[in-house]
Amino acid sequence: MANLEREALPLPTGFRLSTGSFHKLSALLTLVALAIAFSFGNDAFLTVNNGLTVLLQTSVIGLLGIGMTLVIITGGIDLSVGSVLALSGVVTGLAVKAGVPTAPAMALGIVAGAACGLVNGFVVTKMRITPFVATLGMMLIARGVALQLTGAAPISRLGEAFGILGNGSLFRIVEKTGGIFPKVVFPGIPYPAILLAAVAIAAAYLLNRRQIGRHIYATGSNEEAARLSGVLVDRTKIFAYTLSGALAGLAGNVLMSRLVTVQPNEGVMYELDAIAAAVIGGASLMGGVGNISGTMIGAFIIGVLRNGLNMAGVSAFIQQIVIGVIVIVAVYIDQIRNRR
Amino acid sequence: MSTGENNSDPLVTMRNISKRFGGVKALTQVNLDAYAGEVLAIVGDNGAGKSTLIKILTGVYQPTEGEIFVAGKKLVMNSHSDAIDEGIDAVYQTLALADHLDPASNMFLGNELTRSVLGITMLDNKRMRSETERVLFERLGVRLRSLDVPTSSLSGGQRQAVAIARAVYHEGLRVLVMDEPTAALGPQETARTLKLIKALKAQGLAVILISHSLDDVFEVADRVHVQRRGRCAGVVHISQSTQQDVLALIVGAEEAA
Repeated sequence: MANLEREALPLPTGFRLSTGSFHKLSALLTLVALAIAFSFGNDAFLTVNNGLTVLLQTSVIGLLGIGMTLVIITGGIDLSVGSVLALSGVVTGLAVKAGVPTAPAMALGIVAGAACGLVNGFVVTKMRITPFVATLGMMLIARGVALQLTGAAPISRLGEAFGILGNGSLFRIVEKTGGIFPKVVFPGIPYPAILLAAVAIAAAYLLNRRQIGRHIYATGSNEEAARLSGVLVDRTKIFAYTLSGALAGLAGNVLMSRLVTVQPNEGVMYELDAIAAAVIGGASLMGGVGNISGTMIGAFIIGVLRNGLNMAGVSAFIQQIVIGVIVIVAVYIDQIRNRR
Repeated sequence: MSTGENNSDPLVTMRNISKRFGGVKALTQVNLDAYAGEVLAIVGDNGAGKSTLIKILTGVYQPTEGEIFVAGKKLVMNSHSDAIDEGIDAVYQTLALADHLDPASNMFLGNELTRSVLGITMLDNKRMRSETERVLFERLGVRLRSLDVPTSSLSGGQRQAVAIARAVYHEGLRVLVMDEPTAALGPQETARTLKLIKALKAQGLAVILISHSLDDVFEVADRVHVQRRGRCAGVVHISQSTQQDVLALIVGAEEAA
């Protein structure tokens, strides 16, 4: 019957916006509106420095959001990313403490994250546990392991090299003034922001230009059809969960590097920010719908909101309320449009 | 009306096919012949064994007893993909399409075309679209207004066409099974789908049509294979019988009389 109803709709002939691009446009407009509103509220909001701060703050949520988007498109969800982020940081921290040089230690942390994702994928596909339950279990397991390994104590004094990924920046221009502090002409583009851009482009390429990406969409859209067409549905899902775990590991390393301390209880509830970013960006929890650029806009909406509300002196509690309302409104608007 | 039956051997021959599921006998000693360039309808009540029969032909089920020959060659198929390799495919009632993807993505799903740009592999969306457009038009006479839309926005008949195009794109396709293709369609869309079936027949395919609608069957089929309670109740030529005759076979009225 649904088909017949659609047929009855007069098909527009001229310029026409697909559902996806409509959602993206409205999200982008929301982002711009937020930025304008906040810049009226505070002169310091629309400055290069604050822009870079937002970039830096959004990078972690953005990385998590990219992995989350892949999983959500397959029709799943990954609740474990916040905990996996902490566990990856712990693995890196312990490796550094054990004498492993920083770069390989960070690689080790990312591999640990990917391993958690791989387990998620196996539990979802081979043991046929629903993604919600499987990743909820991993959320508790990874957090427990992180706390157990460290005795719930932070690991500090990890060396200068450990802080580069989170605090370094490209094209930083400083002017020698002769005093103790050099004058910073341009603070540079933070490494985390560059990393986020690179990962986002790679993920978008994967999703839109590779077979695996098409299979991710197909799996979430109609799993049975994908299987009948010869798509290796299980492998596709495992791939998505593993990538989500690896990106959580990367995000964990970025975050811990920024603090130059490994915190085993870092990243609590980050999975919800990541889901919010994906959903605001147009991803559907029913699967088959979502894209990286949308999720990036979603991540920046959350980042700009947090930053702007902070500058306006709004409490963290109110911020949660605002973001919660925005998530619901974003999905509601999308539903109304689809129902029309 | 040429059925090809008189001047050639059957393309598909199923001999003495039996299928048991545990203690339940779904099929008993069923024979079926289908010819190239012919539409063979399979009709029968629910539970008469129509679906089991075609699932055996398409490799989804394996027969407990019996043999399948295509063009004289005996086939042993362990999966649906084995059947596809032998040129046998099916378009299911539920239309195995991914609704969020565009028609071209559906048509090439699991078999995507790629190209290389500076050594980087990319999906060749442009070629997939043009191929889809070509197959839809040349084989099925269907033109879509736009190929850049999710399949869910197409009409039932257009979706049907995409699903059929998927099957016929395979060069070696010889036998196409269609399971209730018109069940979910309105009258206009049904007429269009029946036209597609005639086009496929004219292209020399053996089309096996499962249908509940005797109107549709008498519109496109050459012969009707009637299933009743797991057995073949008879095969009749459309040109030599009426809907009443077929109905009698379906319900077993002759036997009772």
